[in-house]
Amino acid sequence: MVQTIKLVFSNFKYIILSCVLFSSMLIGLLILSEYIFLEPYVVGHIPSGTELEFSLILIISVLSALVIPMNIFRINILKGSKQKISGGIFGSIIGAAAGACSCGPVGFAVISTFGSIGVTATTFLTNYEFPIRIIAIVILVITYFTTVNSLKTECKINS
Amino acid sequence: MNKKGVILGVIVIAIIGGIAASLPSSEPETLSNDRLRGTISTEMGSPILGDPSAPITIVEFGDYQCHGCYNWFKNTKPAILNEYIETGKANLIFVDFAFLGRDSPKAAQATYCADDQGMYWKFHNLLYSSHEPQIDNGWVSSERLKAFAFSLDLDMDLFESCLDSEKYSKRIQFNNQQAREHNVRATPGFFIVGPDGQQQITGAQPFSVFKQIMDSMV
Repeated sequence: MVQTIKLVFSNFKYIILSCVLFSSMLIGLLILSEYIFLEPYVVGHIPSGTELEFSLILIISVLSALVIPMNIFRINILKGSKQKISGGIFGSIIGAAAGACSCGPVGFAVISTFGSIGVTATTFLTNYEFPIRIIAIVILVITYFTTVNSLKTECKINS
Repeated sequence: MNKKGVILGVIVIAIIGGIAASLPSSEPETLSNDRLRGTISTEMGSPILGDPSAPITIVEFGDYQCHGCYNWFKNTKPAILNEYIETGKANLIFVDFAFLGRDSPKAAQATYCADDQGMYWKFHNLLYSSHEPQIDNGWVSSERLKAFAFSLDLDMDLFESCLDSEKYSKRIQFNNQQAREHNVRATPGFFIVGPDGQQQITGAQPFSVFKQIMDSMV
């Protein structure tokens, strides 16, 4: 497993890609979930009682930054199928959507635009925020292990 | 013929007048006209928490089902109460922006039914202290709102007739309209209104942000 990660990230391009994915995903999700505020001052804080939600965002960002570059490596270097990268992107999007609703600006925009359908959607995403994030993490973990296995086989790495 | 017409007219007017007088008022009877804070009309909002003549007013637009509003209530509001409201530097007015679910307007109306018995802030605090993160899961259903009122020893006949008749539905609509007119795009949304202007804050921001803004206004 470590050898597979070393193989992918021995190429500097994939380290850069991973860092960009991690930071953009983390900062984006923290802004959407109101852990970071940009106005009137740039300020970040973790309200007490929301530490678990913060941890889930962190885990989703780390996994996305790991899984997506590994799959891009497979596609670029080994000309592998694109099926597994879709699992990574799907997991990342699900994880992001869960925190983007509730009473924040995105939820308000969805409700204002779509009316009662928007209310239903934001209510669902808010009420099931925790399980949705867990599902996203499970998808990303499964994608990670299948990608590692596939790279081991295709690159003939001895574990 | 003319006498009969006059008598008939008087009777009709008396009947219409009687019916009109017996109808429950859809608007609260005792609202202050002196409730313009900055550009915001807070006359339909909560009673003023703190010294009404304080130099700064914090206007909070919130929804009782909003988890961010609960976070602010729990994490930021206590420090603001201690440092600004209890010291007379600021006061606070809560204006409803009930948009999150079908139970939100009812919860907002219930606070004004409690206000009829002088218990607005106790009811408001009880709702946020009992907050559940799920929207429309029944934690602020009519039955639960009545149970909250009962736990505060409110006159239940008065409270139930107020809540069931939706006496304050127009008040909530007015407050929602104020929020939209002032470009409030999330809850909680705040306006810090000082002697020289007002500053908008969006979201459950930490105490340091409020302190920085209010200290610059005093």
